[in-house]
Amino acid sequence: VEELSAVPEGAPPDLSVRLGRLTLANPVMPASGCFGPELAPLLDTAGLGAVVTKTVFSARRAGNPADRLTDTEYGMLNSVGIPSPGTAAFRDTLLPAYRELGAPLVVSIGGLAVEEYWTVADELRDSGAAAFEINVSCPNLEHGGLTIGTSPEMIAKVVAGVRDRVDVPLWVKLTPMLHGIEVVARAARDAGADALTVSNSFPALGVDVAGRRSVLGAGGGGLSGPAVRPLALRLVRDVAAAVEVPVIGCGGVCTATDAAAFLIAGASAVQVGTATFTRPDTMTSIVDGLAALCRELGVARASDLVGTLDQERS
Amino acid sequence: VTATAWELAVLPEPVGTPSRPAAQQAEVVVHGPLGDRYRLLRLVAPHVAATCAPGQFVMLTAARDGEHAPVLPRPMAVYRTDRDAGTIEVCYGVVGRGTRRLASFRVGESMLVVGPLGRGFRIDRTWRSVLLVGRGIGTCSLTTVAQELDGSGVAVTTVSSARRPEALIGGSVYRAHGARAVHEVTDIDGTSAPAALHDLLVADLDAEPPAAILTCGSHRLVRLSEQLAQHWPGTDVQVSVEAHMACGLGYCHGCSSGVVGGMAEDPLVCRDGPVFGWRPRADRP
Repeated sequence: VEELSAVPEGAPPDLSVRLGRLTLANPVMPASGCFGPELAPLLDTAGLGAVVTKTVFSARRAGNPADRLTDTEYGMLNSVGIPSPGTAAFRDTLLPAYRELGAPLVVSIGGLAVEEYWTVADELRDSGAAAFEINVSCPNLEHGGLTIGTSPEMIAKVVAGVRDRVDVPLWVKLTPMLHGIEVVARAARDAGADALTVSNSFPALGVDVAGRRSVLGAGGGGLSGPAVRPLALRLVRDVAAAVEVPVIGCGGVCTATDAAAFLIAGASAVQVGTATFTRPDTMTSIVDGLAALCRELGVARASDLVGTLDQERS
Repeated sequence: VTATAWELAVLPEPVGTPSRPAAQQAEVVVHGPLGDRYRLLRLVAPHVAATCAPGQFVMLTAARDGEHAPVLPRPMAVYRTDRDAGTIEVCYGVVGRGTRRLASFRVGESMLVVGPLGRGFRIDRTWRSVLLVGRGIGTCSLTTVAQELDGSGVAVTTVSSARRPEALIGGSVYRAHGARAVHEVTDIDGTSAPAALHDLLVADLDAEPPAAILTCGSHRLVRLSEQLAQHWPGTDVQVSVEAHMACGLGYCHGCSSGVVGGMAEDPLVCRDGPVFGWRPRADRP
């Protein structure tokens, strides 16, 4: 058993975490699609470990038909469909606003086909991103998305092509809908992924009984929020056990305690999505709460929690 | 001319510096029934009270401090503001999980309020006359227009429509703020039927047609507003649109208005609305 670092009296806990060659001031960042520069007046964005953009496609694309989202028991169903201004408009308008937020910028990149991911990487090569997060797991795209995200061969092709084009750290955001998530995790790592985000929302359906139709305009959607947290924790544990690259946990994180649970399960950082809708300053509360929680748990560094799940009971 | 030849249109940005949204823990100071169908909630929210323009909205988080569901806050029109007291009022019907939870808040508790949000009605104090047409809870988007125009010299004519007399809201606010006429119409006596309302409003306003018709709460009333605007050339129509929302700010794209702008993703109800123009369709390729 590794010794935990001693806690110097009165010193603030060190919240910094390493994700491969990237070091973040703390492990808290938004989940792609659940954050934007519009939030700047409502939370301390510079105090986040990183900020993550909505997924950018090369060409401008519209999202899915209304209704795009709804509340469900302890979570949210959405089928927004990743509308994107395209890389050109993204660079002109959104990118400068994101860069003003004062935290390392992670650009989420998307594609409807393998080659589009490569194009986006080319087009955003000089965006100043601290990392790219490759989104191969949106459940709400008409093509790509799950088709790519469930195939180790296609993930490898996407990641290797992006790796050839850019030097920034690459994170790959995995779908939860796999028989063995370890297989795609290894494929992504072998193709050059520096970290893996586990995971995207869970394909789901809500039924309007009176209308006998889906509650969402596109039919199915993705489930997120506190309801999926135990599912995501399990996936994080499995991926962290299977591959040595850092894992970024994502799924129902609402509190510092939730974030610590993901760290203990094997994540090196966490993303916060749905909980920012509930309270815009949720991430700030988690950063503050993590410091307090580290003190309570007697650890000097948040990173000391990573992967400390009791093996006898795991 | 057919009704389908009219459509929602994004209006120019309001004049002046846009109000910045803030998040506030707001104490509940009044919470109870409004008519037999809705509930009225008065909150201490000085930032919103001081900066909210008519037709803007707030997001109310129904999860209490320490709770994490319902996960989505509920968008609510601001029904009335009191800048001196630093309070705002919203009205809502209990229709689902979120509003059931909102209804459980007691006086003295606090809830998270984010606002003001969106772009409100474009009001011109040089207008001679304006017509406000609301149905059901939609009336709540319009009452602050009367409040804003109180004492301005603009003649405010109002319609409150509901299924039953007990469900009518807004009339007392309109009267308190000097509306020249308050037409309260219901399904029960047939006065809310568009044809009947059309005749009533033409008879009331033909001598001095309104510069604008502002409406919320019913597609039939949007169509009626359109017919009246055709009857009174030069009369502008603005409509406040409802939508499911998650962020209320524009980053989640959950409330794309869909019909506006065809294939393009913009505009969003929360960011570019909730108030849109209702105009004859522009020719597009």
